[in-house]
Order: sequence, then structure tokens, then C-alpha cells
Amino acid sequence: MSSSTVSVSAATPTQHYFQRKIDDVKPSKTDINFVVMDYLVSEGYPRAAEKFAKEANIQLPLEEESIQSRVEIRQAIHAGDIDAAVTKINDLNPQILDTDAALHFALLRLQLIELIRSCTSSATSDVTPALSFASSQLAPRAATNPDFLKDLELTMTLLIFLPATGKLQKELGELLEPSLRRDVASRVNEAILTSMGARGEARMRSLVRLRQWAEAKARGANKDIPPVMPLGLQDAEDRMIGNNGEGADVMVQ
Amino acid sequence: MRRSSYAAALAGNTGSSPANTAPTRSGAFSHLINSGSTPHMISQHRHSRSIDADGHHDSMSTSWGRGGALPSYSSQTGHWQGLGGGAQDIPPFFVPSYLRGSKHAEKLQEAHKAKLAAHREYRSTHSSTAGSLSTSSSSVNLHKMAGSHRGMTHEVIERQAPVFVDEPVSPWPTKWNESDKFAQLDIEDGGRQARFSGSQKTHDEAASVRADCPMPRQCGIYYYEVTVVSKGKDGRMIGVGFSGPKVALSRIPGWEPDSFAYHGDDGQIFNNTTSGKNYGPKFGTLDVIGCGINFRTDTAFFTKNGHMLGPAFRDLKPNMPYYPTIGMKKPGETLRVNFGQEPFAFDIDKMVQDEKATIQEEINQTKFTASAASAPDETQFIHRLISQYLAHDGYVETAQAFAEEIVDEARALANDDDATIPYQEAVEDMDALNRQKIRAAILEGDIDKALKHTQAYYPSVLRDNENIYFKLRCRKFIEMIRDCNELNTQCQTTHTSKRSAASNPNKRNSTATDEYDFQMELDEQFGVNNPTPSLDNLNDEDDLEDKQVKLQQLTANTIAYGQELGAEFANDPRREVRQALKDTFALIAYENAKESSLAPLLEIDGRVPVAEELNSAILGTSKRFSRYQDNKQLLLTHT
Repeated sequence: MSSSTVSVSAATPTQHYFQRKIDDVKPSKTDINFVVMDYLVSEGYPRAAEKFAKEANIQLPLEEESIQSRVEIRQAIHAGDIDAAVTKINDLNPQILDTDAALHFALLRLQLIELIRSCTSSATSDVTPALSFASSQLAPRAATNPDFLKDLELTMTLLIFLPATGKLQKELGELLEPSLRRDVASRVNEAILTSMGARGEARMRSLVRLRQWAEAKARGANKDIPPVMPLGLQDAEDRMIGNNGEGADVMVQ
Repeated sequence: MRRSSYAAALAGNTGSSPANTAPTRSGAFSHLINSGSTPHMISQHRHSRSIDADGHHDSMSTSWGRGGALPSYSSQTGHWQGLGGGAQDIPPFFVPSYLRGSKHAEKLQEAHKAKLAAHREYRSTHSSTAGSLSTSSSSVNLHKMAGSHRGMTHEVIERQAPVFVDEPVSPWPTKWNESDKFAQLDIEDGGRQARFSGSQKTHDEAASVRADCPMPRQCGIYYYEVTVVSKGKDGRMIGVGFSGPKVALSRIPGWEPDSFAYHGDDGQIFNNTTSGKNYGPKFGTLDVIGCGINFRTDTAFFTKNGHMLGPAFRDLKPNMPYYPTIGMKKPGETLRVNFGQEPFAFDIDKMVQDEKATIQEEINQTKFTASAASAPDETQFIHRLISQYLAHDGYVETAQAFAEEIVDEARALANDDDATIPYQEAVEDMDALNRQKIRAAILEGDIDKALKHTQAYYPSVLRDNENIYFKLRCRKFIEMIRDCNELNTQCQTTHTSKRSAASNPNKRNSTATDEYDFQMELDEQFGVNNPTPSLDNLNDEDDLEDKQVKLQQLTANTIAYGQELGAEFANDPRREVRQALKDTFALIAYENAKESSLAPLLEIDGRVPVAEELNSAILGTSKRFSRYQDNKQLLLTHT
């Protein structure tokens, strides 16, 4: 079009070949928007998804009646209210937990951890509820699977160590981290999506992983790519931008 | 007569009337006629086989209907008659089953289509006359020409369709290469079959042939099969494999460096040696031998009659182009190749799928490494990517909602006092809003407003990015010219319509409609909402004068601005700046630039890049998010 005229681009001479190639690729906005929307919907950000549909002028995926319940389930798990979460999951589709024993076990164990937490922090330090929950709910399942058993044993040791104010072992500490809840919550989310015949994982996640894998591969094969590939996240990277190395291209094959 | 005029129309001869078509035909069209029809007429009598062999031209002929089938025959006949020598036509396109749906196949197909289209374009000028003539005119005429123009036929056929020089995707092998074989091999059946025809002189001598293209690395796995049609009278000294482009073809494959093969007489595999390694069973007549390379692992394997024989060679050179190669030694030995034109005996599709699954699994196993990105874990990394994209591209409300929801999520997780969740910072709202305002202004063509806002909120941006400032100024000039144009057209339209309305009082109604349509069209062109011309307005002298005055004023302003702009950048040494200035100023020379060669400059699409660039400059991040996306895509192609 108006190529010669209006585009007075000041070409930076010392650009990595790879970088130039990147500049040549123009990902379509539609594609990016699709990926973003996919993420918002499948990971459960209903308000953002709605706004995004309006602002980017794209259709909200039809599928989504489950989005609200998925958000609620996620919130319940995040807040440690496993009972409520399990009820909600079963309301949605009782099959999910029946068919996925590992997921069910993970939820129950999360519940046990919450119980232990509340038992040990109460004044009386009465651990009976935790013990009875463990023996009635988890123990029968643990017997069927060595992995479950290991997890259960580890969790039970919390009972002994938790009252102590000192530092916990790393493994035990991890049980109390909120990231455990988040992991379980996202597994539940995926299971619900899969049960509805949707794609379990947001495409964005696969893309991130794919990119990482590809970069690792390229580096492993000693392809000449810039030592640092800025991703455009502001901090941390600003100082790295600009000292790209130079050389040939990954793509030459 | 109607038909011949049709012929004329097809041939692009617009001037001739039906009456003088005939003389024109023999004159101006004579060379065209020759190119297509002469060989065709002959071919129908003597070369029916060539037409059979030509079944793959369906794709071309359909678009030309009955007459259109002729050109492809004609070229084929040329080939059979040895007139053209070498392939006149583009070979049929096929995708080996295991590569169906791959990006590589897609690209090749596109390249092929483009080639075909170019080919057809070339042909259409030549063929349409031929085709229509044979249906329309008496054949007496034709026969005369057929005799007298043989010489020219030759000439025309040799002029080939434009060949695409730059073909970015490497094509896969399609046939044995006639010019890359040992003399004693005969290539038959369109390059699919190879037969040893001479007699063996020395013990070591053999004859090999390479395919027309190396196995493309982009395929990931490449695989082809060879059927032993006949192992000849005495022995089955047949080698199937692959070799580099420089390997001698006078020896059986496998004996030279860069040559790899599986031999039928002993079932051994060879590479750069005359003593083989035990590998698989012997093979002979009617056995199907498959040969494949896995470029991911740089290993090669063979199959026999659909059974995998296991890895044969490893550590293949990644940069060496390997051509499918076969060789044989005894008279009568005949091999037929399948590069994917037909289904394979071995279930290569499954193997490729398994390979894909393996890679997919590997990708799924990839753990997020915090060091690779400036975020502690995958989820937060994604969140930051998304919020940055939303903010950068001006989805302000979405960004806000997203930030809120993330904070909500973090709060839910963090309601234990022992846990600390790093809060996502809310998006820099003001910033995003400002940028949105500026961008909207540019997209509306209101450059002044954009400049003013930028100056107010981000004074350093224009200072630091002089070329963006320059582009904005140029754009403003363009917008002014656009305005002038618009006004100008409006004045003219009013004139015309007034005149037509006056001269055709009876048809007043229809004229008004025409005028209206015209105006609508203009509206579309401009992409601007002109006030819809109401009929009352048309006769309004004042309005017209008003507009003319405005136009004059605007033109004066534009010129003044142009001078100012020119003065400001007059001493700029940069070539691009000079060129841009020159082009931009040239616009003013046209009364109606819309119809000039510089019209593209006036497109409103031109606003978008300017807006994006300014936005990026303000952010100082210059398209980083999209760069991330690019990264992904690029790295993807690498695999």
C-alpha cells in the first residue's frame, strides 16, 4: 500500500536475524483474542470475559453455563471450604469425582489438611475429628493405591508437627501452602471442562508450554537464537533488552 | 457468428465487431491458434494415449469447460512429439498420506496453486482462442493453418509459463530425476518406474537414480516405498536407500560416503562400505521395500511388505540433503516407486502419529521454569501476559475486570494469615485511558488532537521518536488533502446533479436516484458519513458556494501546512523522509487524488499503523506482547 511513503522505519542495524524474523510474523489479532478469550472462559474469569467480548467485539463462547459454578467451586476450594466445593461439583455432575479417584482423593486430603489445621489451632487441640475423618474417608481409598497411601501418611504427620511453632520440613510446609489449593482447584476445573466435552486445559497454557519446550529444544540443539528472548513483561526484562547476540537463525533447516 | 465473437471476447480482443472477426482471427490470432490447436488436432488422431495419461489435468480443465481441456492436451502432445522437450506442465500435486494436514503440505499446496494459477493465466491467453475456434469455425480453416504453422508451434511451446523462482517451502520428491541417473537406466511411466536396460560391463558397475528432490527435513519423517516389479533374470542386486547429491551414480547405493542403502541380494545394509551389515531379509520380485528418515532423531529405517525392520542408520548429517536413491545391476531389473501418490504398504501414518504423540507428551511434560520468564509460576506468568495485552491493546474495561478477578482469587487464597500472595497490581488505568484517547483520535483522522494529547501526557515521546512525529505530521497533511478531496467531490456532485436535473426534467426522478447512488458510493469510498444529499439541497446555491469557499480555504490551509511541513524537514538527510515527503506532496498536484496513482496514500487504513506505532512508542514496549506471540509461532515452525 503506502509502503514507500508513510512507513519511514528507522531500521536498527544490529538486530538479530531471529528478531527480524519475529518482526515479520504478524500474528492475527483475532487469534490472540481467541486465545485470551479461551483462557478467560476456561479458567473462569466471567466478568473479564464478558467485558472482553464487548470490547473486542467477539462472541462469548456458548458453552458457558458452567462458568459461574466453576468460579464458585474454585473460590470454595481456595477458601478451604472443601465440603461446599464437593457438593457443588456433585451438583454439576456427580460422575466427575466418581470416575476420577485421584482427584477425589486430592480433595479429601485437602479437607483433611484443613481439619488438622483447625484442630491444632483450637485451644483444646482435640485431634479426634481429623483422625476420624482420616480413618473413615481417606484410609479406605489409600489402601487401593500406594501413592494415596504415601500422601496420606505425609499428611498425618502434620498432626504431630503442626502444633510446634518451629520450622516445618519442606514437604510438610508445602501441604500448608495456598498453592496446593490452587493446584487442586485447577485440576477440578479441568475435570469439569473435560466432563463437558470441552478442552480441559486453556490453550494459553499449552502455548506457554510449547514455547518453553521449543526454546529449550532450540537451545539444546545449539541453534543460534538470541540469548534472551524478551517476552514483553515490563520489569525484570527491561534491562535485558538490547543486549541480544547476533548470528543466524533457528529456522534454517 | 455469435460464437466467434465469444472467441474474440475470450481472447481479450475488445475492438473487433462480429463482422470482422474472421479476418482478425487469421491475422492477430494466428500464433495463438498454433500454440494450442495444431498439436491438438494431431493428437486426437495419433496420440490417444497421451490424453489418457493426462487425466490429472482435471483441475485445470474444469475451469475452462469443454474448450479448456484442450490446452493441457496440447502441451502434453508437444511433449510426446518431442517438440517441447521436458515437462511442459506442472506435475499433479499430491500429499503423502502421513503428511496430510501438516503445515508443510499446506504451504506446498499453496505454492502449487499459485503456480497453477500463473500457468493458467499464461495458457488462457493462448488457449481460449484455440478452444473456441475448434467449436465455432469450420475446420477447413484450421487444417490449412495446421500445415503451415508447424514451425511456430515449436517456438510457442518452448516459451514456458513463468516459473516461480522463489519457492520457500521445499517440495518433496515426486519422481525419478531423468537428468540425475546413470545412463543405463531407463525411466518410464512419468518418472515412477526405473529399469536397468544396458548390459553390465564390469562387476562393480551399477546404475542408480536419484529422485527429483531431496527428502524435506520439514516433514519430520519422510518415507517412500519401492516395489520390485522384476528382479531381472540373474540376481537381485537391487539397492534401495538415499544419498547426497554428489554421490556417484555408477555404483550401487550404499558403497559410497553419504550413500545409504538396503540391498536385496543379501538383506544387508550399507553405508560407505562394500561389506554390509546384517539387517533384514533378502528381497526380490513383488516385494515392497520402504525407506524412511526420521529427521528428529536423524535415523533411518526400512520396511519390507509393510513390516518395520527397525532402525538401520543413525547419526545422519543434519545439513545434508538426502535424495531417495535406488540402484541396480542386472538387465531387466525394474523398480516402481511410490512417493505417496498411492497408499503405502507400511502403516506410516500410525508411525507419524505416534511420533507426534511422543512430542506432544514431551511438550506437556515441560515444566515451567521461573527463570525463563519474569514471573514466579506459570499461572502468574499467563496472568501478566494477558493483562499486559489487554492494557496494551486498549481493552481497558476488560483489563480492569480481569485485574479485579485476579485480586479476588488471590484474596480467597490468602485468607490464611500465614500465606502471602503477591497481589497483581491493578492496571495503570489512567495510562491506558490516555493511550486509548490518542489512538481513537488518530483513527478518526484527527491528528491534531492526537498530537495535542500526546504532547500533554507524554511530552518525551514525540521528542524521542522523531520519525513517529514526522509520520504524524505527514498523516495530518494527508488528512487535509482527504478533506479537500471530499469537499471537492461534493461540489462537483452538486454541479453535475444540478445540470442533469435541469436537462432532463422529465427524468428527474431517476436522475435523483442515480445521483443518490453515486453519493452512496462515494460515501463508501471515503468511509465517512457525508450528509446524505437531500433533494432540496441540490438546488441550494448558497450551499454550493459555501462549500466552494470552504474548499478554497481548506486548500489554502493545506498548502500552507505543506509548506510548513516541507520547511521543517527540508534539511533532513534521511532517504525515507525525503521519499515520504515527495510522495506526500505529490498528492497536492492532483485535483482528485482519489483517482491518481497515489490513491493508496489516502486510504484510511493508513491511520492504523501510525496509531499503533505511536501507542507502542508511548508504552516504550514496542509490541512486546505480540512479540511473545511471534516467538511462539517462530519456535513452533522450528520443530
